[in-house]
Amino acid sequence: MNCSECQEILSRFIDGELDEKRSATVGDHLAVCAECTVLCDDLAEILLQCREADSTEATPPNPAALWRRINNLIESELPAEIPVEEKPRGWRFTFSQAGVAVLVVALISSFLTIVGIRNYYEPPGSDLSASASEPPSTMQRLLSKVGLAETPQQARDRKFKEQQAAIEYWDRRVQMRKANWDHRMRAAFDRNLFEIDQAVNEYTLILQKDPEDQLSEEMLDSALTEKMNLLRQFSEL
Amino acid sequence: MSLRVKIGRGWKRSSKTTILLLLSVVFFFVFSAADAVGQKRFSRSFPAGKNVRLQLLNRSGTVTVEGWNRQEVAISARLEAPTAVIAPQLIEGTILINLVKDNQGRGDVGNVNFNVKVPYSCMVDIETLIGNLIVTNVRGGLVRAHISSEGDVTLTNISAYSVQAQNGIGDLFFDGEILPGGNYRFSSMKGNINIRIPFTSSFKLVATAPSTRYISLGSFSNSSMNYFGDGRRVVGKFGDGSSTLTVTNQRGSISFLTK
Repeated sequence: MNCSECQEILSRFIDGELDEKRSATVGDHLAVCAECTVLCDDLAEILLQCREADSTEATPPNPAALWRRINNLIESELPAEIPVEEKPRGWRFTFSQAGVAVLVVALISSFLTIVGIRNYYEPPGSDLSASASEPPSTMQRLLSKVGLAETPQQARDRKFKEQQAAIEYWDRRVQMRKANWDHRMRAAFDRNLFEIDQAVNEYTLILQKDPEDQLSEEMLDSALTEKMNLLRQFSEL
Repeated sequence: MSLRVKIGRGWKRSSKTTILLLLSVVFFFVFSAADAVGQKRFSRSFPAGKNVRLQLLNRSGTVTVEGWNRQEVAISARLEAPTAVIAPQLIEGTILINLVKDNQGRGDVGNVNFNVKVPYSCMVDIETLIGNLIVTNVRGGLVRAHISSEGDVTLTNISAYSVQAQNGIGDLFFDGEILPGGNYRFSSMKGNINIRIPFTSSFKLVATAPSTRYISLGSFSNSSMNYFGDGRRVVGKFGDGSSTLTVTNQRGSISFLTK
């Protein structure tokens, strides 16, 4: 046996897979060949270490957990499926809880009915104290008290800011075009603006003294709307 | 000799007079022609259907709308120099005239005085920036007259379910019917508002004159009329209160008259 023949079957020799005759031949060669003996020792060492590593790292497999992990991986890569509606689980209430729930529902529906009927039979125009503009409904007042809607004061301030912003916008446009108007148009515009500003100042002063004066508030709103309309219409010239 | 001189002087006098007369005639014609050139006229007619509506927006000048017994809308206008462009349109039963849009960017445009004849049942919606608005003999569903700045609104012999009149500085006069279920709104910044309606009218009233506190109800004063805000507002009901009447005069008076 030469070296190449020996090295070809060396691995099987170490594993003990050769028959006796061939195993003896390899043994005879190893006895006389230092090179093949070193190779055989190295190979045997490697195989030994591999076996040791296998024996330390291999934990007893958990087939169920492994299958679950594989299954999860497969599901995550599949397109999302339409969820199947689950049958609602029945709520379980005690008798007292159910009674309270029924009472609450009855109260809310009664309240909404009363508000609806009141709004239906008492349109804004029939409010005798009152403003020509639409007053806040009972529901709006309630919501503002709870904090779910803005209070009349907040609404007033917001509207005033919006009006002022609109007035400034239209005023800028008017100032850009005013130079082109004829004298008569300019004079009429100025006279009207002066009258509106007089009214605005008047109502503002009253409201500073009495912030609760609804009539002045309404008139101020009306005068500011007038001013905005005047500016808008003249800005189109 | 003296006679010739007299005759000569007499001739000279008469010739001077003649020349003066001739010059006057020439000047008269020249100025008349100039006036005629300065003012142009516009006229156009449209056939009117049952639910015809006039929507007119003028820049400056007087607008007069009169109802007549013909199914036709006749528009005539006198245009002062520099003359405005008028381009009326008929769109789905509405006659539209918008002088603000048609003359946008033109700073100097002369007055346009409109005279429009409409069928009695026509809905009238007229507006101007400066000038008077007059509407007479209209019984359509709507009459709206709005002056952005200065001018008087005069509405006479009106019978409509919805009437809105508004102006800045100027008087406002309404003479017409208050129909059951109707809505009537009059508003002025400074001027006098006079409302002349039949005693048989029925309405819910909100009248506000915050500055002058002058609200004269005349024959329409009754126990259901209440004053609020130190006399700045009157709220109440007359008759069965089947219509709504809202009158606001920021810096002027409000008076009711019986027809």
